[in-house]
Amino acid sequence: MNRRNKQLQALSAVQFALWELHLYLDTHPDDLQALSLHEKYEVKFAKLRAAYEEDYGPLTPVAGEGISWLKDPWPWDKDGGED
Amino acid sequence: MWCYEKKLQYPVSIKNPNAKLAQIIASQYGGPDGELGASLRYLSQRFTMPYPELKGLLTDIGTEELGHLEMVGAIIYQLTKGLSVEEIKKAGFDKYFVDHTAGVYPASASGVPFTAAYIQSKGDPITDLHENLAAEQKARTTYDNILRFTDDPDVADPIKFLREREIVHYQRFGEGLRLATDRLNAKNFYAFNPSFDKK
Repeated sequence: MNRRNKQLQALSAVQFALWELHLYLDTHPDDLQALSLHEKYEVKFAKLRAAYEEDYGPLTPVAGEGISWLKDPWPWDKDGGED
Repeated sequence: MWCYEKKLQYPVSIKNPNAKLAQIIASQYGGPDGELGASLRYLSQRFTMPYPELKGLLTDIGTEELGHLEMVGAIIYQLTKGLSVEEIKKAGFDKYFVDHTAGVYPASASGVPFTAAYIQSKGDPITDLHENLAAEQKARTTYDNILRFTDDPDVADPIKFLREREIVHYQRFGEGLRLATDRLNAKNFYAFNPSFDKK
């Protein structure tokens, strides 16, 4: 696995935990333990996301990013595209 | 509105193309219990959903299903990339190929194009939630059946992830159904339709 994919995997793991907590909170909005866990992972995710975007370009389309948004690989490319 | 994220929810990286398997998995793209139907079902139902938790749940699960549609599309794309005409013929992929080349097209494994008849949006929370519970189980069975034909771990791994999501969504919709019935007439859940009848 190349460095990009390793970073993407670490980021996706934390994002997945956040998403699972988010869905759980839809039906358990008063669960304070889940809320605080969500806050904890949010901090972690922000750091991983910033580091990834710094190296490989934006994850979401933002104005002014220009060519870096258009850069390969796209998510459906095999092995995230070889580095 | 939506915001796209340039990544898959779970990685898909398949070394060996396999058009036969792609044709089977295509059912989860545009087949009767596929991810396209799932996302349209939940994202359409939410407009008349009266309860805040369920508006959120339908929006969130419907959105996640769009991410699953992208994953299934990536699996099909990678399984059909770089095949020769000979390999396409041998895999029985020629019937698909003649209409779509290697393009990803929403249809069932037997070639029936996607239709909205696969889904329901009934405008009644109890009815819609039961539709969704059934939909999650039908998709889970389909993934179980796909796994019967999958001996490539590169393919089985993301398929197992998608299968597990059906189970989690089923759980959340079950909780949603409980939240909805808690707000209805406990002696008769069907005494009125909270999406339509004034009470």
